[in-house]
Amino acid sequence: MSLPHDSAHTHVTGESEFVDDRPKLHNELFVDVFYSTRAHATIKNIDFTEVLNCPKVVAVFTGRDVHHNLWGTIFKDQPVLAVDKVQFAGEPIALIVAETMEAAQRAKQKVIIEYVDLDSVLTIDEAKKVKSFIGDRRKIERGHVDEEMKKAPHQLNGKILIQGHDHFYLESQVTIAYPLEDGQIEIHSSSQHPTETQHVVAHALGLPDKDVVCQVKRMGGGFGGKESQSAPFAAMAALAAQKLKRPVRLCLTKDDDMIMTGKRNPFENLYHVGFDNQGRILALDFELYSDGGAYADLSTSIMERAMLHSDNAYYLPNMRVTGQVCKTNHHPHTAFRGFGGPKGVATIEKVIEEIAHKLNLDPLEVRKINLYSDKDNRNVTHYGQLFKNNCLERLHTDLEKKCDYKNRRLEIKKYNQEDHHFIRGMSLTSVKFGISFTTRFLNQANALVIVHNDGSLQIATGATEMGQGVNARISQMVTSELGLSRDAARVMPTRTDKNANTSPTAASSGTDLNGAAALLAVRKIKKRLSELAFRLLDVPKEKWASKTAGIGTQEEIVLSTPNLDVNDPNEGADWNSGKATYFEMQFEDGWVFHPDHLDKKIEFKYLVLEAYLNRISLSDYSFYRIPGIEFNKLTGHGDAFLYFTQGTACTEVSLNKDTGEVKVLRCDILMDLGRPVNHDLDIGQVTGAFIQGLGWVTTENLVYNDQGYLLSHAPSTYKIPSVQDVPRTFNVELLENDENFMNVRGTKAVGEPPLLLAISAWTAINNALTYLPRYKTSYPEIKIPATNERVLRAISPEKFQVWDQ
Amino acid sequence: MRNKIIFYLNGKRQEVGSDHAGMMLADYLRYEKNLTGTKIVCSEGDCGACSVLRFFPNAQGTDIQNYQPINSCITVVANLDGSSLVTVDALKEKTELHVAQKAMVQCHGSQCGFCTPGFVIALTGLVEEKLAKQETSINPQEAKNCMTGNLCRCTGYKPILDAALTMDLKEAESVKARFFSEHQSEVLNEAFKTGVALESDDFSYSAPKTIKAALDYLAANPDARIVGATTDLGVVHNKRKITLTKLLSLHLIPELYEMKIKDSTVTIGARVTLTEFRHLIKDKCPELANYLDVFASPQIKNIATVVGNIANASPIGDTPPALLALDATVLINGSSEVPLSKFFLGYRKTALAAGEIITGIKFNLPKEHSDFRLYKNANRKDLDISAINLAIHVEWNNDNKETIKEITIASGGVAATPLRFIRTEDFLKKNFDIEAAVKILHSEFKPLSDVRASAAYRHILIENFFRRFFVECGGVK
Repeated sequence: MSLPHDSAHTHVTGESEFVDDRPKLHNELFVDVFYSTRAHATIKNIDFTEVLNCPKVVAVFTGRDVHHNLWGTIFKDQPVLAVDKVQFAGEPIALIVAETMEAAQRAKQKVIIEYVDLDSVLTIDEAKKVKSFIGDRRKIERGHVDEEMKKAPHQLNGKILIQGHDHFYLESQVTIAYPLEDGQIEIHSSSQHPTETQHVVAHALGLPDKDVVCQVKRMGGGFGGKESQSAPFAAMAALAAQKLKRPVRLCLTKDDDMIMTGKRNPFENLYHVGFDNQGRILALDFELYSDGGAYADLSTSIMERAMLHSDNAYYLPNMRVTGQVCKTNHHPHTAFRGFGGPKGVATIEKVIEEIAHKLNLDPLEVRKINLYSDKDNRNVTHYGQLFKNNCLERLHTDLEKKCDYKNRRLEIKKYNQEDHHFIRGMSLTSVKFGISFTTRFLNQANALVIVHNDGSLQIATGATEMGQGVNARISQMVTSELGLSRDAARVMPTRTDKNANTSPTAASSGTDLNGAAALLAVRKIKKRLSELAFRLLDVPKEKWASKTAGIGTQEEIVLSTPNLDVNDPNEGADWNSGKATYFEMQFEDGWVFHPDHLDKKIEFKYLVLEAYLNRISLSDYSFYRIPGIEFNKLTGHGDAFLYFTQGTACTEVSLNKDTGEVKVLRCDILMDLGRPVNHDLDIGQVTGAFIQGLGWVTTENLVYNDQGYLLSHAPSTYKIPSVQDVPRTFNVELLENDENFMNVRGTKAVGEPPLLLAISAWTAINNALTYLPRYKTSYPEIKIPATNERVLRAISPEKFQVWDQ
Repeated sequence: MRNKIIFYLNGKRQEVGSDHAGMMLADYLRYEKNLTGTKIVCSEGDCGACSVLRFFPNAQGTDIQNYQPINSCITVVANLDGSSLVTVDALKEKTELHVAQKAMVQCHGSQCGFCTPGFVIALTGLVEEKLAKQETSINPQEAKNCMTGNLCRCTGYKPILDAALTMDLKEAESVKARFFSEHQSEVLNEAFKTGVALESDDFSYSAPKTIKAALDYLAANPDARIVGATTDLGVVHNKRKITLTKLLSLHLIPELYEMKIKDSTVTIGARVTLTEFRHLIKDKCPELANYLDVFASPQIKNIATVVGNIANASPIGDTPPALLALDATVLINGSSEVPLSKFFLGYRKTALAAGEIITGIKFNLPKEHSDFRLYKNANRKDLDISAINLAIHVEWNNDNKETIKEITIASGGVAATPLRFIRTEDFLKKNFDIEAAVKILHSEFKPLSDVRASAAYRHILIENFFRRFFVECGGVK
């Protein structure tokens, strides 16, 4: 049985504290953000007179009040508050500080601003025309694409259009900034990246990092939307707090959050593929373009991951993928679960479906023939990394059987030949997701473990908790190493004064990195406790310090080897229990003992006390870096990832021919997650990521006006899946994989990969459409998301031709 | 007259005057009462994170007598006069979790925890309903329906559905038994007997006891807004587009809770909620009941009124087309009547004159030899504002369904008001020719393109549903 989330029991009672649940201090102020409604314009004039005359309004701040106004994770190109010029609708311009949130919000409407519009770029096409780009075009290439393409018996060309995707974390961006003595600032933020938040705040306020502490207790969802984009809002609250010397709370409304913050990057990808009669891909040429929005944010890194995932599960002997981020006048797009991965994978999966359609083959057969395989050395990625622990074939054959693919395919064919006002489709797709930050220096973490005098523990790492259960997994790993129940430890709020220079909790790596560091830290303590316990075997109990007023009637025990020099959490570890095997003593069920002296068991908490009295350190800190990541960004070659999380999903959909309405009838998922630490929490990540991805490919439609101002900015207009959208049959299983020897305890990261499996719903929609007579010799063109209207447009384009005029 | 509203919060009596009565309940709970378990996400009643349980014991017309979830973010505190509320913060009894909470923990129903309190309230509401009906099991559809008004972005809902299905109803203690004491009942009954008048510089609220008193108040205060449940005005207020400063509530007028079916005529008062309405007609008009299932959320329907959905005059309201197709009548001031077909005059403009109050609505159930069907399309099937909706009611001349005696066709989302397709109706009565009728149908409306649908999509949907109707009812051979 899997332990519940470590906060589950307080989540259900409402006791779990989120930032805005913190009690309001009597002198606390609230800030609201005034933002642009124009895509690209100079600010001719801005007048706050009426704002300042509003009741309860205390102050207004602009970019001129910010010490250093530019921030950015990769390139420092984005103003905290725009001065003179705005580059997207939703760009923050001014802060209105008032005694209540409502007063600030109402006063915001009194800002008088005059813009002079400039030419704007709102689509990838426009950006390509005027060469409005962020960063250089990147390329990854292997083999002889052009030559092999010419020789290929069949070729296809096409394009896939992928829209953005709002994170829709339930807790909007929120920060409280408390000014402390001597100019210090304490930030309580909902952020996936407290270190960056600390740095952005310090930089904006002109403070050294030592004077800013950022604390993140938990987030009400993150999904990548709080990786970079929570930092500027923290800086805004901090600015007001610094200027007014009063606590300041910034808590965006859902509408303002959606309008201001960036989303998953839209992509427009071109493909050209050459293949043989069996559907085996001989040459593939991808051109990826993303909409980066007005500022760089993480878009170049996202593009890189898209390029690295354009192969997905398939060996592509001759492949070229180029990637270019476009600069547009939209909110700066950012990380979102899967990063670039889903956009690369959607493209290749569409290509596979189209090949199968052209050759009149079942798409699953085309997939299988192209899978990475150790046979014939089809096991090296297009960027030259050897693909180890390949589970793809097992995943495909197992899931095909489990979901009764063949019979259901026949049924669907039969059903679609009959006269129904529904049409059905099915698709089985997979994911091979590279785990590690592709930016090498981010693959580091540190952890602090403290054992208190009573034997209870506190753990502090750079990981942030956003629902994924990183704290539950870390505490489970740490306590099991000491043979304690998980309740013995508490994972503390993430704070930059305990864990500095940390990486964002992102790239699915939270448990991998921080769990490894915490495990290394606790083993250092365990090393000392183990030697102490071993030495105590020879000391009569009555002479122990704890039995003699803390002093001891014998000499203080001085450890011979108080340090442990191990940097790999798997070195000397038992794969089943995950525990290190190199200690003299065993730690089990709260007791410490030597297998040869079972009569001399010591209770853990007494051993801890004895260690304290013998002046042995009960706290330790460890640093962990992922070994062997050697990806060369210039050549596009090398080992980009430590390992790959893999999975498959088969999804069946039904389309209503009257309305285009999509219904997901059934979904079966099989994931390879190595050796899970907490099976049920992992399953929850799979179901959650899949449904989130399902929203991306079906109902979640971002609609903008001609100024790039988001119109679907609340749940009334932006429709994430509801409980009624969950497939009626939804089976999720994990593959047994005891062959994974990578990563801490042989686990595999789970956060992002299952989101990409939702692409199977989109390919299933495509598949359904191909059963229509009109697509006998052509392939449907349907965007992501395939909204009801778009599906109906694909079903009855002639009707739309009549009414679109 | 009372100058305080009275309600119970987690078993404790609250008296609130004009200082806080104009706040939204969610803000009041979080910032005045430090009950921060209730979360605010969308402030528009679309996510359920702010759900609390409410019981209004004086809704006399109905036999639903239990705590139900509502959205606290769009409910003005003043409107809770006479209610008994329970929030998530109070559900745990000493150290013992409520069965809904227990199941959520066991089934991993919470991840980030932000939507969790709302789901716990939705599940607790289902438990209350089950206990009231003395039922001991929950089926998957009931589980889904009870949480249609709650959004979760982490779990994919599956673990929450598992939780709903594993709740142990035998072990469950009723919230009503725990929180609704005899004394509380007496206090709220007593309070119901007296009108309310709150008055301050920036907020006034009047809740008279009789229709006449309400009309008098309105005559003297023509700028007052009549509020039902503020499920719409609360949203507009939260988006800071209006300020709710002067409100008239009809919740203390007993006859407005009337709901009855007599000789196939359904009459409901202005205070009847959508949930109560569904309960009333579910056996007599299952088509309408089913349609109400894909309309809004339980939280909205548990407090919002049918009359409110009419008075609001939204062109995309979900009940107007259905009621237009049933040729409903709007009851005004308790004394006069206006056919609904003459009620909607323009965008959000109705035939209700200044100083008038809608006191109820009545309509006849579909007759024998008739077909009545309702269609709705939205981007997401459940809890989504319609792109369009269509209601068709046909009375055939005989069972062969070859000619039409009477027909009403009404739609939403295609014009500035809910629309009747009069010319199509007239044509079909004379010539039952679908192809020709489709052409007329299209000529009767000119929809807009907006965030929900293009004009073309709206045209095609109306046509397809129109055709579908005649296929489904067997009118097309």
